[in-house]
Amino acid sequence: MSVLSWIEFEATEKRKGTVKLKGGYNVLLQGRPESTVRLMPEPSVLYLPLRSKRFAFSELSVKEGEYVNAGDILARDPDNFGVPLLAPRGGKVRLEKVPGHIVIEDAAKVQEHADMAEEELLHLEQEMGAGGIKRYKLVTLGAWEFFYDAYTGAVPDPLGTPQAIIVSIASLEPFVARGDAQLRNRLLNFTRGLEQLQSLLEYQPIYLVMPDVESEFVNLLRNHIRGYAWVKIVEIPLRYPHDHVAILARRLGLKRSNGPIWAVRTEGVLATDRALTLTKPCLIRIVSIGGIGVNSPAHLNVMPGYPIKMIKERYVFEPAARLINGGILTGEPLGAEALGLDTECRGLTVLPELEDREFLGFIRPGWDRSCYAGCFLSSLRVKFHERFTTGMRGEGRPCISCSFCEDVCPAGIMPHLIHKYLYRDLIEEVDMARVDLCVECGLCSFVCPSKIDLRQQFIDAKALIEQEKQELRKEQERQEKEREEQAATKSVEEKDA
Amino acid sequence: MKVLLKVFEAVRPTFEQGKLKAFKPLYEAMENFFFAPSTTTTTAPHVRDPLDVKRLMSMVIIALLPSIAASFYFFGLRMVAMIIVSYAAGGAVEVIFAIVRKENINEGFLVTGMLFPLILPPALPLWMVGLGVAFGVFVGKELFGGTGRNLFNPALVGRCFLSLAYPKTMSASWLEPSRDLAGRLLQYVDASSVDALSSATPLALAKQGEFASLSHQLFGSVSGSAGETSAIAIILGGVFLLLTRVANWRTVVGILGSFALLGGVLHYAHPEKVGPVLWHLCAGGLLFGAFFMATDPVSSPISNAGKWCYGIMIGCVTVLIRGFTGYVEGVTFAILLGNIFAPILDEMVIAVRIRRLRSEG
Ligand code: SF4
Ligand code: SF4
Repeated sequence: MSVLSWIEFEATEKRKGTVKLKGGYNVLLQGRPESTVRLMPEPSVLYLPLRSKRFAFSELSVKEGEYVNAGDILARDPDNFGVPLLAPRGGKVRLEKVPGHIVIEDAAKVQEHADMAEEELLHLEQEMGAGGIKRYKLVTLGAWEFFYDAYTGAVPDPLGTPQAIIVSIASLEPFVARGDAQLRNRLLNFTRGLEQLQSLLEYQPIYLVMPDVESEFVNLLRNHIRGYAWVKIVEIPLRYPHDHVAILARRLGLKRSNGPIWAVRTEGVLATDRALTLTKPCLIRIVSIGGIGVNSPAHLNVMPGYPIKMIKERYVFEPAARLINGGILTGEPLGAEALGLDTECRGLTVLPELEDREFLGFIRPGWDRSCYAGCFLSSLRVKFHERFTTGMRGEGRPCISCSFCEDVCPAGIMPHLIHKYLYRDLIEEVDMARVDLCVECGLCSFVCPSKIDLRQQFIDAKALIEQEKQELRKEQERQEKEREEQAATKSVEEKDA
Repeated sequence: MKVLLKVFEAVRPTFEQGKLKAFKPLYEAMENFFFAPSTTTTTAPHVRDPLDVKRLMSMVIIALLPSIAASFYFFGLRMVAMIIVSYAAGGAVEVIFAIVRKENINEGFLVTGMLFPLILPPALPLWMVGLGVAFGVFVGKELFGGTGRNLFNPALVGRCFLSLAYPKTMSASWLEPSRDLAGRLLQYVDASSVDALSSATPLALAKQGEFASLSHQLFGSVSGSAGETSAIAIILGGVFLLLTRVANWRTVVGILGSFALLGGVLHYAHPEKVGPVLWHLCAGGLLFGAFFMATDPVSSPISNAGKWCYGIMIGCVTVLIRGFTGYVEGVTFAILLGNIFAPILDEMVIAVRIRRLRSEG
């Protein structure tokens, strides 16, 4: 951050009197999607992946060759409160055709219907009242998959009550579907969705996070929300990843120990409205397509399972390009085996592969490459969107303690320190240094001049620590059980005696 | 350029599996010097910042250009020889260690090799230049595990070694700078040209109450270490380093600020021991040390608070050594002392931060 922008940043923080945010940096990638939403041609075959980032739909509820309707439940994820995989279109189900996918052949746009069991609804009404029905609807109609636990990013328990809901309409990562594109002509649905969310709560607040810019759209939204006393508006600067809900939850002072915090994005509010107001399944996704090598980047109106090939044919002209499911900083590369969009897909980003090795690259002036530290001539230029490739742009080196990673880290932890601990296998220290606060934004890896893959190391470390803790817990439980058993046998023996 | 790349590709097998396997680090360093590496990202983030360590180190060299030019101008062609010797000797140690350790050759010595001759007396025998840099790289860096793991600034270790091992030669190798308009751009002057040898640097003269003029110090036409005499050239390069964030401004401001503050107070209290602040700021190696030596990210603290403390410590110690000990110049020792304290300062700051993090989230 240059001094000027820092002062500016501090000033806006003070004026708004809202959250205090740390770090962050905008990676300006070419090919930003416009906010228009384009319709795609109807597909005749859908390839629904059984796995996505959070879900594994292992409990199948359809058979090979069966005909389904749009909105029918195809499978459920038993580990995530039975979140269903819905059929976005009617057609014939094929289970074995492509491994890891449910294929719907002869897909047709037919009247969609809500796949809910009447008896269950009745039963729920008696048991839990209106709130129970709402939650049941949210899960069965496919809206629950848009809900996150703000801190862990996992699927929250639909029957729980959160201490707050954070609704974010900002999507700052390049590139995933943005709120302004999704809310076009749907502001009413959005506000209705907010009301529905509020009806799930008692007195807990809803924080609405939006960018602190003066645009026509944002002003319109502000005016719409003004009447809602229970919505607290939080304005954030447009700097990645300040829209991240874990960061926001922390900066809003919401403690993890006070109960779950639900987080939803624009699409989640719209889905809530659809499920609760209209009692209709949520089958459509707005997905962005952007990056380098994309014909007129935009937002697409598609559905889970939409053939990636069809999108590629229409939009991607770069032959040797990496297709990424999600944004450039956190997305996963899509291999050739991925045939259709998964249900959690929010955007596709295209990035050309590195082809040429530059001659004496490191002494070039660098008018066309923008650098966090300002070590290229381009720092004399106004900000511009860069043409990136997948190149690492340097050799791996030991950490040189430049502390750039710490400066950009939004979580306020010390990536270089954790890296050094990991290098020496000091797992306990890594835990103490709060690797768990890392939100996996990827900025530290991006800026590191030594090209250390910090983000991946932290993800692995978190998994390792989590695993160790679980083992510890299991061990404790086992010991406790043993002790109880011993106590029981003892008392029996005593009795016998 | 395609031809060169083809040559590299043709000889690669020889270095990878063939006879010259031991020299693989050397080959890789050469290849990656000329051609950007072909590695690509495999996991998110899929794009990376264009800055790498090579570029970072090149920025230091670019920032040194004004000082190098000034040293050519004032002390003549001998500087070329010193720089070449320094690179050759330092590079050799680096390469040998890379081969022994089977690790990559690091760019760190590019900077060390350039910094080292600039902080030496300009008429020092060339073998001493070589010995000093080899010692600095070996003891100051390689023994600690190479670039990134060193505790001390290697160039300063080398210089410190020379001034302890050969104090006589070190103090008898000062040159009187050229006062001609054309400078010494085409002359080769060394210790044999007795008329050019000078007895003392401005700081030494100041101990006897004789102050060189400030304008000469700003411009650089005073006796002193080769690259340290011209304040303007150093500030020019230093500000460039700060703007590109290669050097951290906290360290620099900490050193110069605390030096000016303490120096000012002591000048007021003991004018006979501590000279005027502005004069002292431009004298000797202070500016060069503050901008180029102390800001070495590896051997300075990594935390911001640590950097402030480190800077203030170096500034204060320099004033004290200059004013109240037998030494005329204290920057080298002050920075080395700072290097020793850097990990301790970091540890303290980190302990506080970790305690604060404990209750987060
Ligand atoms: S440590 Fe985690 S949160 Fe911090 S910059 Fe790196 S990936 Fe982002
Ligand atoms: S950015 Fe990389 S080199 Fe710099 S301190 Fe962090 S880990 Fe070390």
